[in-house]
Amino acid sequence: MKKLLALLLALTMVIGLVACGSSTPAATKPAETAAAGGETPAAAPAEKTLEPVTLKIWFHGSTVTPDASEKVLKEVNAYLNEKLNVTLEVIWGTWGDFDTATVTALTGGDDVDMYFTCNWSANEYNKYARDGYWVRLDDLLPTCAPELLDTIPQGIWDCAVTDGYDGKGIYAVPGLKDTATQNCWDVNGTLLAELGYDVDAVCAAGLDYFSPEFEEMLQKAKDLKGKDFYPLLIEAAVLERMVTHSSIITGDIGSGNVLSYYYDAEHPSKDIGSTIVNKFATDEFAKFAAKTYEYAQKGFISPSCQSVATANDYRTATQSTGAYLIGTQSYAYGCEIEYADARKIDVRMVPETAPYMDCTSGQGAMVAISATSKNPERALMFLNLLNTDSKLMTMLNYGVEGYTYNTNADGTITFTDERSNYSPWRNGMGNVRILPPTASEGLTYWKDFAAYYDAAEALPMGGFIFDSSALETESAALANVYAEYAFNLMSGAVDPAKVLPEFQAKLEEAGINEFVAAAQEQLAAYLG
Amino acid sequence: MSSRKKDLRLNSVSAGTEALFHVILCLFSLACIIPFVFVVIISFSSEASIREIGYSFLPKSWSVEAYTYAFRKLPQIWRSYFNSLFITVVGTVLSTAMCAMYSYALFRPDFRFRGFFNFLSFFTMIFGGGLVPTYIVCKQLLGLNENYAALIVPLLVSPFNIIVMRTFFKSSVPMDLIEAATIDGSGEYSTLFRIVVPIAKPGIATIALLNALAYWNDWFNSLLYIKQNKILQPLQALLMELQNNVDYLNRMAGHLGAAAINEAAKLPTQSLRMVLVVLIVVPIACAYPFFQRYIVSGLAIGSVKG
Repeated sequence: MKKLLALLLALTMVIGLVACGSSTPAATKPAETAAAGGETPAAAPAEKTLEPVTLKIWFHGSTVTPDASEKVLKEVNAYLNEKLNVTLEVIWGTWGDFDTATVTALTGGDDVDMYFTCNWSANEYNKYARDGYWVRLDDLLPTCAPELLDTIPQGIWDCAVTDGYDGKGIYAVPGLKDTATQNCWDVNGTLLAELGYDVDAVCAAGLDYFSPEFEEMLQKAKDLKGKDFYPLLIEAAVLERMVTHSSIITGDIGSGNVLSYYYDAEHPSKDIGSTIVNKFATDEFAKFAAKTYEYAQKGFISPSCQSVATANDYRTATQSTGAYLIGTQSYAYGCEIEYADARKIDVRMVPETAPYMDCTSGQGAMVAISATSKNPERALMFLNLLNTDSKLMTMLNYGVEGYTYNTNADGTITFTDERSNYSPWRNGMGNVRILPPTASEGLTYWKDFAAYYDAAEALPMGGFIFDSSALETESAALANVYAEYAFNLMSGAVDPAKVLPEFQAKLEEAGINEFVAAAQEQLAAYLG
Repeated sequence: MSSRKKDLRLNSVSAGTEALFHVILCLFSLACIIPFVFVVIISFSSEASIREIGYSFLPKSWSVEAYTYAFRKLPQIWRSYFNSLFITVVGTVLSTAMCAMYSYALFRPDFRFRGFFNFLSFFTMIFGGGLVPTYIVCKQLLGLNENYAALIVPLLVSPFNIIVMRTFFKSSVPMDLIEAATIDGSGEYSTLFRIVVPIAKPGIATIALLNALAYWNDWFNSLLYIKQNKILQPLQALLMELQNNVDYLNRMAGHLGAAAINEAAKLPTQSLRMVLVVLIVVPIACAYPFFQRYIVSGLAIGSVKG
């Protein structure tokens, strides 16, 4: 009897395991139904009276307390009820939700209608589009979100096109935010003036990492401030990309971004060959690594910058005290003003490259509609309103007037203390350009912001997304080798004369050549 | 003391060895205590001092700013404190009761399905369903979603504790005693609660302490099941979330660029994070003295009987 029972139990468990094993593909099933719904778009939803629905959205990087959320959502929902007959529920996700929480919710088929997604955290936009977790939006956009379609520039829609479960198409609404990348030298103007330089002239002339003048500046700062002062404050990976004028390739996050795409620093859209090469075998990389090692040997780079464990904390802390001469910065429009305020020094941003637009910045913050959503059309209508209606965007992003902010006479706004309790990630929500400017940003902020980003040139590789799913072994092996060597080389911690050949040998062993060739082949096919 | 009575004690060792043991144990204790003292010191260091000289046992200046900030500006801390206490108390009582009763049944040789229920608990110790199936069962089947139950139920039964408890019953409760009780007219419940439980107190206290620790330190269930109704977050989850935010922004600094710096500025300062650690450690450290008596006597029982 006992044995029989035990056997029975073991059997149920085995069956259970089998069922669980198949539960992941089963979770993608709603995608098919949703896609089927997508092929026959709901006839002009605006004409009929809308059924009341509740939509749930999951944001990323929020700092929102439960109390503040309740107060703001009450106002938001009053407005949404009237406009779309929608009640919004928000999951105020924090940073790094895609590490565990969101992934579990997605595979577990949670009843969340919309998810924040992007490509830089774990390439989740492209990955989950491929696996059928997002609803393809191409057919729904013209009927449910015509204004949205017009608001977002075509170049950014192009970036959102990915090879998904239901074919090539748009699987999420891209945010109209800082959609370009520009690498700048972050110069401490106060210290530079102290060293006897004409700050305006130096900044206008630009900086060259390899020039003797660059070195002289660092040396002077070191001499003035003493042994414990490290004038060159670097973020190794950013430094390498900015000095060699290269960009990461979207979809390559699995390998730790070993691939690089080289562009023209002055005119990023100029075609200079569009080839992907093994960058660690190039002369440019060798030259860069040698120079960085030389600077490190001269005491320009802090040892704290050369260890992965301490680099970021050290950089943030040093930036905040202004104890540097030259730093590296991936630029965001207007950031020097904020930094100058926070650091109490004159912060100058000296461009090393012109701003460019690529998929990585185009897919930087998106909102996708989950395949488990029961009302994908309504969700899209909500996203349409969110990205085009200034009142809704302001309420959701900045909170309620009189509670988290007050409007000034000139139309700008000033935050109250309550803002610290209601502070979603501004760029993670969508179109930030319809927000009112804050008093410190100034009245013309968003106009200048738009002008700056709209002027950014698209890279010749356009919306290319590397698909490394067939090369996962190589990708993982390369990531290991990369983690072991690349950071040390790029931060000047080790002598490239000795280590670089070793690194290259290990990379070749891990299959860099096949990896690069596959990427190159895909890029060639993409460019046609 | 030991050197004078050396000849009287069977298990005494030479003074030199004893001194050596003392040194080793002192070092071990220091290794346990110093990190905590360090955390307390950092929590009282001023932010300026941390920025200038980093973490230090002797900060340049002291400050209680982080504490006042935590208590005034973060109402969620109090709520989370309550949540942690609530789930720990309720969870510990429930899980200890379940564990004691389950293992008591397994211990009784006259229980017919003993082998089966033994297997049932043992099997889940070795094989688990994995994260996603567990999540689906908990959330969709059991409705453990955005409520206290989601923080209590997943940790209710621990096969490991059941096995420990069963072994404890076996070694400390003689079957004869139970038989004697039965002959004297004691019913099953009366035998369990009036005879077995008082004898098994040290074992139950040990299990209770293990359970209390598990509940107090649990943050993962909150991460999975408490997303919208964050007012239910326990203290550990709050701390873990802060730490995850910091780590993530550091890791993604290269991708987020300027945004990472702005966002990092919103997060609590390093001393505030240490304040949270202190708040978490102090109550559970206070729980130890209450249980310690039983744990020590539990160990003593084992050795005497052995």
